[in-house]
Amino acid sequence: MAARRNNPSGIVPTTQNIVSTVDLDCVLDLNHIALHSRNSEYFPKRFSAVIMRIKDPKTTALIFASGKMVCTGAKTEAQSKLAARKFARIIQKLGFPAKFRDFRIQNIVASCDVQFTIRLEKFACTSHGAFSTYEPELFPGLIYRMKQPKLVLLIFVSGNVVIAGAKKRDDFYTAFDNIYPVLAEFKK
Amino acid sequence: MGDAFCSDCKRQTEVVFDHSAGDTVCSECGLVLESHSIDETSEWRTFANESGDNDPVRVGGPTNPLLADGGLSTVIAKPNGGSGEFLSSSLGRWQNRGSNPDRGLILAFKTIATMSDRLGLVATIKDRANEIYKRVEDQKSSRGRNQDALLAACLYIACRQEDKPRTVKEICSVANGATKKEIGRAKEYIVKQLGLETGQSVEMGTIHAGDFMRRFCSNLGMNNQAVKAAQEAVQKSEEFDIRRSPISIAAAVIYIITQLSEEKKPSLKDISGATGVAEGTIRNSYKDLHPHVLKIIPSWFAKEEDLKNLCSP
Repeated sequence: MAARRNNPSGIVPTTQNIVSTVDLDCVLDLNHIALHSRNSEYFPKRFSAVIMRIKDPKTTALIFASGKMVCTGAKTEAQSKLAARKFARIIQKLGFPAKFRDFRIQNIVASCDVQFTIRLEKFACTSHGAFSTYEPELFPGLIYRMKQPKLVLLIFVSGNVVIAGAKKRDDFYTAFDNIYPVLAEFKK
Repeated sequence: MGDAFCSDCKRQTEVVFDHSAGDTVCSECGLVLESHSIDETSEWRTFANESGDNDPVRVGGPTNPLLADGGLSTVIAKPNGGSGEFLSSSLGRWQNRGSNPDRGLILAFKTIATMSDRLGLVATIKDRANEIYKRVEDQKSSRGRNQDALLAACLYIACRQEDKPRTVKEICSVANGATKKEIGRAKEYIVKQLGLETGQSVEMGTIHAGDFMRRFCSNLGMNNQAVKAAQEAVQKSEEFDIRRSPISIAAAVIYIITQLSEEKKPSLKDISGATGVAEGTIRNSYKDLHPHVLKIIPSWFAKEEDLKNLCSP
């Protein structure tokens, strides 16, 4: 992994979930897949994809008839790629000419704890109010839509911060570096 | 009767005002100085024994700048009860078929008016909600949206902008069919649309428990002292780290204040009804507030022993 960002606080966000997509490049018969594998479910009336799960890494894949696949639940980028390869292997074993084209990570969710309570109402009133949405009636956290890098942070009173929408690890490291001094201003 | 300058006599003469003809006549030479004067007295006369059914007003409502033509059109009303005259109902149908660009707007304004009536809101808030709705409608992207939720959200935003916020639950109670979630989503959508249109000028402060205090307290019939104490308590409670929705804190503070006062104490159920907060939530918020109760409740309202006697959660 790239060198750790030097954040004065020494806090580094940890990834919680990674969503990636890959193209298997062949048309699939979802009924056949669902019947011949024991860890999958397929209810075409509900959703037009097979939902398959593997134990290691503990991930879930949505496999569509066009051959495209979405892999969710992995904790690191390497695990996500490994899991996607495992799913492709299962499809291959079932008799389809699956390939591994265009593996792309679409979304990384990370979280961290800044170790102090935050005054959310004050935050929403300042110049950052243009990017923040704080509706205590609707959701207890402040929703901060950062423009550069373009992602969403959920900031809670307890000091927990959830960062979502990053496509690369660097993105959410930068985002946290940007938001940490601002949060420190509004320490309770 | 008065004095005016007569152009024939070339001097100030006594002038007679003839009401029946609307003429101002010089009494010396008979010259009509002003004719067709507009009578500014009342439009109709009311008699004691007349029935009050017929409304003598002959003018319509004020001009509405939001509508395309200023609200000048006439609508043929549907006769209520049995439609005896076949002619009038078919006329009504023909009119509705005509192209009327404002029909959706007028219907929406009517719904907003009904909702704000139910909540007892002033005309300022209703007009603001109408304005917000028109601005959102101008951007055609709101076609497929849940209309009820959209109108309710317009009203919610209008209340917030006038610094008289209403809880989403209150708006829910008068909006037909819209759930809290739908109104919340519609509100986010409207804020985004208004931001796109005018470049982030939507000003809406966060809600505080104090904004709702007056209304909740008067719904429960608390006396003035209790209301003042409650407002002070809520102000002080903001300094402490209590992680609860401001409405729940308000409800819990009202519960504490009413338990401390000597008058009839509303039950948890009454407070729950007046604030819209569930009973369990009020109990949990009370648990969170209890450790700080000495610092929150003003000393002029309740003495320390009373506070100690407060039932521990």
